[in-house]
Amino acid sequence: MRFLKNRAVLITILLFFVSLQLYSLNLREKSGQNFISQVVLTVTYYPQKIIYIVSDKVMTTWQDYMDLVNVRQENIRLHEDIQKLRVEKFELAEDGIQNQRLKKLLDFKEIPSYPIVSANVIGGSPSLLRSEVIIVDRGSHDGISQGMPVASSEGIVGRVLTVGDRSSEVLLITDPISAVDAFIHRTRVRGIVKGTGSGCVMEYIEQNSDVSKGDKVISSGKEGFFPKGVIIGTVSDIETKGNFLSAQVSPFVDLDSLEEVVIILKTNNNIVLNE
Amino acid sequence: MNKYLSIIFLVLLSVVFITIQTTLLSPHNLNYYYPDLNLILIVFLAIFSEVRGGFFLTLGNGYMMDVLSGNLPGTFTISRLSAYLLVRSGSNHVYLRKALVQGLVIFLATIFTWIFILTIIKIKKGDIGDITAKYILIQGIVNALFGIPIFWMIHRINARFQK
Repeated sequence: MRFLKNRAVLITILLFFVSLQLYSLNLREKSGQNFISQVVLTVTYYPQKIIYIVSDKVMTTWQDYMDLVNVRQENIRLHEDIQKLRVEKFELAEDGIQNQRLKKLLDFKEIPSYPIVSANVIGGSPSLLRSEVIIVDRGSHDGISQGMPVASSEGIVGRVLTVGDRSSEVLLITDPISAVDAFIHRTRVRGIVKGTGSGCVMEYIEQNSDVSKGDKVISSGKEGFFPKGVIIGTVSDIETKGNFLSAQVSPFVDLDSLEEVVIILKTNNNIVLNE
Repeated sequence: MNKYLSIIFLVLLSVVFITIQTTLLSPHNLNYYYPDLNLILIVFLAIFSEVRGGFFLTLGNGYMMDVLSGNLPGTFTISRLSAYLLVRSGSNHVYLRKALVQGLVIFLATIFTWIFILTIIKIKKGDIGDITAKYILIQGIVNALFGIPIFWMIHRINARFQK
């Protein structure tokens, strides 16, 4: 220890170069699971879960109290909503019948559905350097494996990065190393949706393509990673980048306030990363 | 026996700190204003040289940061180990017993670790996201403010095990 203490600056410089080399071994080359990482995830799972349960109870109690305050106005508003939903339900039933009829006419193949596992978000990254990571309370014990897609009721959330016994890390689609093959719902124009840290950008869109603000972006399923047709977000801005168009995409899911997600039990070795 | 109790206490504290940092006080909740409890603990281990097993505890703490922040390959482990060694090299200085100096050391350790990490990412043309000089300074101040009472608390509890 005295040796280390007397040569701290020299060792720091050495460590800097070691770190530089380690950084080169990027995530793409990472294969399989690291045992020590699994141990860390397992050790931190139980205290994280306790904090999650306690804070959830406190928040639920507070929310119940707040709900009681405006219950009368809420009741009136809900009655109005029910009326609107009854009309919508009727219209949807009509559309459904028409949809089935058209599918038969086109000999349409059903999109395969996958089993899902619901999970609670019990933590997030401890650093801003890669803050686009969340921790969920499902792990290999629940059949989760690395690379599985994660979604919420509103759309794509990300994919499983590291799996512990009872918890897993999920890389959000807004992380700079995330990439999803996608297309514009309205015109079927294809591109790659990459994370930017604070949002997403759809790149490699052919220059003369029909893309406009407000268009919905959905997963293409082409890379075999995310299922086809899951919504990613909405185009908020478009610019030209070299020979391609680049569209800013606002994720549909509010990734800052995620509480529950579903993990799609779909495995694929072809992990798509933006590195 | 007391030596082992002290190490067990510090291991448990490491797990508690990283848990708090990934839940209640995570950057996800507090954005720029989160205290880096993990780094504060490492600086404590470096300043109070009588604490046993500081080197290995620092390694473990750095590794936990790497795993829980998306498995950046060794970035936190090595940057925090470097900060530990640098602070440790001057740990017998009498001024390090003063709270204000300890706060300053935490501030400087925060700046050092960020410069260490961001230099590597910049050299490798990686993405540093929204991290700016302003953010690093804010984090240094937040860490120093949180660090002083945390140091006082850990030192008092740890001293009981040392007796």
